[in-house]
Amino acid sequence: MHGQPEPVITNEEFLKFREYFYRKTGIYFEESKRYFVDKRILERMAKTGVDSFHAYFMNLRFEASGRELQTLINAMTVNETYFFREDYQFRCMVRSMLPELTAYRAAKRPIKIWSIPSSSGEEPYSIAIWLLEYWPQVDEWDIEIVASDIDTKILDLAREGRYGTRSLQNLPPNLLRKYFKPVGNQEHQIIEDLRGSVEFTQVNLSDRATTRQYRGFDIIFCRNLLIYFDDISRREAAEVFFGALNPGGFICLGHSESMSRISSLFTVRKFPEAIVYQKPL
Amino acid sequence: MALIKKTVSAPPEEHRHSARDLSGLLEQLRSDKPDIRRWAALDLSEHSEAAEILCRCLEEEQNMAVRDALFTSLIRINNNAAVKGLIPLLKSEDAALRNGVIEALRQMPDALAPYMQDMLHDPDSDVRIFTVNVLESLCHPMTPEWLLGVIEEDTHINVCATAVDLLAEVGSPEMIASIDALPGRFANDPFLRFAADIAIRRIRGANPN
Repeated sequence: MHGQPEPVITNEEFLKFREYFYRKTGIYFEESKRYFVDKRILERMAKTGVDSFHAYFMNLRFEASGRELQTLINAMTVNETYFFREDYQFRCMVRSMLPELTAYRAAKRPIKIWSIPSSSGEEPYSIAIWLLEYWPQVDEWDIEIVASDIDTKILDLAREGRYGTRSLQNLPPNLLRKYFKPVGNQEHQIIEDLRGSVEFTQVNLSDRATTRQYRGFDIIFCRNLLIYFDDISRREAAEVFFGALNPGGFICLGHSESMSRISSLFTVRKFPEAIVYQKPL
Repeated sequence: MALIKKTVSAPPEEHRHSARDLSGLLEQLRSDKPDIRRWAALDLSEHSEAAEILCRCLEEEQNMAVRDALFTSLIRINNNAAVKGLIPLLKSEDAALRNGVIEALRQMPDALAPYMQDMLHDPDSDVRIFTVNVLESLCHPMTPEWLLGVIEEDTHINVCATAVDLLAEVGSPEMIASIDALPGRFANDPFLRFAADIAIRRIRGANPN
């Protein structure tokens, strides 16, 4: 049986794709990821009925809606959440950001932290645990943690705070014992004190009337969300965060995301633990 | 515990006296308070008829956050008036403003397309270079054709060099002859030869047949 030859991706094509994808997303594929990248591109080529890389790349590059690029981003990324994910940013929060934010601050004003998207709560509870465990000044300040998501069902799960082993895999055992109680079926539930300390709210970042209520934050965690937005929505989200932060406040994005590619509103801060973005003073 | 929980609610300053309709927002765009101008600029994204005024404000606005909001709304409005108002700002002496315009135009491919030929034939070679910069990230299927036109016709070496660089990414095999001929139009300038060779190699590598 003689079918069409299987399409292949040449080295030059891979380099061309890698440069473009990096420019659009900040995700850079090392040579070692070549098989993974080729496989997903070839899958998308098959699904879109295109038999040459050149034709597929031209569609990716010039499609005004950006739909195929978004589909490819989804295929190239893994969206999962668990406790203490990308914990170098939490370390940065307690070692660098909070000491700077509190250095000249009137003691009475609470520190406000916004976690968006909160998903099922792993991130905001991780922030709370990091503060309680690793920030020596935690008792000297009032701290408000607001956690938001667009999905009301996932917010209900977050408020309930029950997690399986996959979510808890990175959590040190002593912290699991301290902040969780076993509830059967290999699940653990966050203790009530901690559940009661996070305000969960439904927020659609595209809804300016709602997001305008979010003001006075000192730190925002918005990780691995903007990569799924189109260019204008990303830019509008950056405007929301700019409006929500106090001057001098910080925003933490996911490891492959860069605010510099989205907006010039923020300055880059390179701390020993992480690179974050700051609203100018 | 030091963690406290408060309900998120509208801050007191949110209880505004001025209207959020078109005329109210345009009035706030003239406020001496940058924060008020910024919120007005963002809310004007819902009023496409404000595009021309938003462009005019860009010329005057010195506050970077307000300027950013003006650009954001113009990109969201994304109409003929927005493009028409932005293009002349490519001639501005203010580099940050020009960069903002380039970034904004890149995100408005359909509205921009009818103006592309005029921009690529602007008498000012800097404007032509900025236009090629716009093409760098413009999601429009005519982009390779427009770039080909530049390397075949433009008389300024820097405009052509910028364009041939981009063709390395988006060019196709039938463009190779024009790319190869480009250095000859500029006394075989060694940099253009180098850039053309890279583009040709990229295109050939991408299309071995």
